[in-house]
Amino acid sequence: MFWEKKNNNNNAFFGSDVRIANYLSDGLLVFDKNDKLVLVNLQAEEFFQIRKEKILGKSILELNRFPNFEPLVSILTGRIKEFFRRELQIEENFILEVTSTLMIINGEKSGTLVILHNVSREKIVEKMKSEFVTLAAHQLRTPTSAIKWSIQILLDGDLGELKKEQRKILEKMYKTNDKVIRLVRDLLNLAQIEEGRFLSKIILSDVEDIIQLIINESRETIEEKKLKFEFKKSKDKLPKVMLDVEKMKIAIENIFNNALRYTFSGDKISISLKNNKKEIEVKIQDTGMGIPRDQQTKVFTKFFRGTNIMKVDTEGTGLGLYMAKNIIEAHGGKIWFESGKDKGSSFYFTIPVKESFREFITGKFY
Amino acid sequence: MAKKILIIEDDKFLRELIGQKLLKEGYDIVEAVDGEKGIKSVKDEKPDLVLLDLILPGIDGFEVLTKIKEDTEIAQIPVIILSNLGQKDDIEKGLKMGAADYLIKAHFTPGEIIDKIKVVFK
Repeated sequence: MFWEKKNNNNNAFFGSDVRIANYLSDGLLVFDKNDKLVLVNLQAEEFFQIRKEKILGKSILELNRFPNFEPLVSILTGRIKEFFRRELQIEENFILEVTSTLMIINGEKSGTLVILHNVSREKIVEKMKSEFVTLAAHQLRTPTSAIKWSIQILLDGDLGELKKEQRKILEKMYKTNDKVIRLVRDLLNLAQIEEGRFLSKIILSDVEDIIQLIINESRETIEEKKLKFEFKKSKDKLPKVMLDVEKMKIAIENIFNNALRYTFSGDKISISLKNNKKEIEVKIQDTGMGIPRDQQTKVFTKFFRGTNIMKVDTEGTGLGLYMAKNIIEAHGGKIWFESGKDKGSSFYFTIPVKESFREFITGKFY
Repeated sequence: MAKKILIIEDDKFLRELIGQKLLKEGYDIVEAVDGEKGIKSVKDEKPDLVLLDLILPGIDGFEVLTKIKEDTEIAQIPVIILSNLGQKDDIEKGLKMGAADYLIKAHFTPGEIIDKIKVVFK
């Protein structure tokens, strides 16, 4: 293999290596330990529309001069991680999944393997699916509004006095319909998030302000449920971060609303902010119902609802945390939690303080 | 004299529901089923208020609003947008274009919509 021959000549390959590489359906780029390009297969030439003679021997930074390589270079540079996988949009309807692996042989960095897998077709199908969900959900809006209005007109007594039993049934109908309305709203948000149409308006914002706004909107619930609530702000001033305020608000609201919903009267909820220099860490803690241990791996999956909460609350759609995770990761942040049944839950997430943002605008993280 | 309200809404059932409620509250109503007829009605009927849906066949609600605000003769008629669209962008756009209020259908009951109309009339 080539790294065994590196002492003689850095660019030397056994012919069979190159030949095998050329038969791969994925694109392959190999950089040596000095980050110089030493192997390009046919598929990679095809993907970037460039002849290998032009780029072999160039360093990653030198490749930046080729416009076709610019997006790839921007995700390859500044990464010291041994392994990462990212999606890269080369052009409309042409999306590559880039996998980069650091080759460490005998404890020494020997090179970097970059595999380019064409996922355009999957992405198009995924997009069509999301568009279908959007369309279907959108079509449901008018009828659900019509049902809401008609029931309300009946409940208002506009069409005659109601008997107690009739009123009771109508009230249940109204509530059920409101649940459908919420579900439709969540589905629309979800489809939007999955379509990658999110992070539309990214502006420099103050996380503390967003959280304060959410708290203010929930004041009534906090008082009604007699919850003990505390907002622990960071001691030192938090830096402003680049984010899509509307989407981030949805994410934080979803986490916070769970805390509000799955706690009992007298329980404690707190939100704390921490400045970790490179990122802001938010913790939302409650002393509520918690998540049973055996279900904890599924918390961030679509439509997940804990078995314990389903018994007391039928309102949730199981989409909130899935959305929150998507939004936070799209911002380059992380989300995790600690929880125990009847012990409450603590959800944590981070928002990176970044100077360059093209990274998370281009695609989604894994 | 009773105030006259123009309802521009393509869905027949929604139009009936809100119309019925308005009549019961003592308002006069005029109905239009699409944007084009809506603009014509605003000009011909000179209502005291317009309830405007956004997604309409042909010219949409935003365009209707633009046309109303451009015409000095009808520009002062208050327009309340009553729509399914709940995105912040749409709400901001509607209010910026001169709508007196922006109500999301699924979030308001007919009674609450009347309350909002009363606020505009105050």
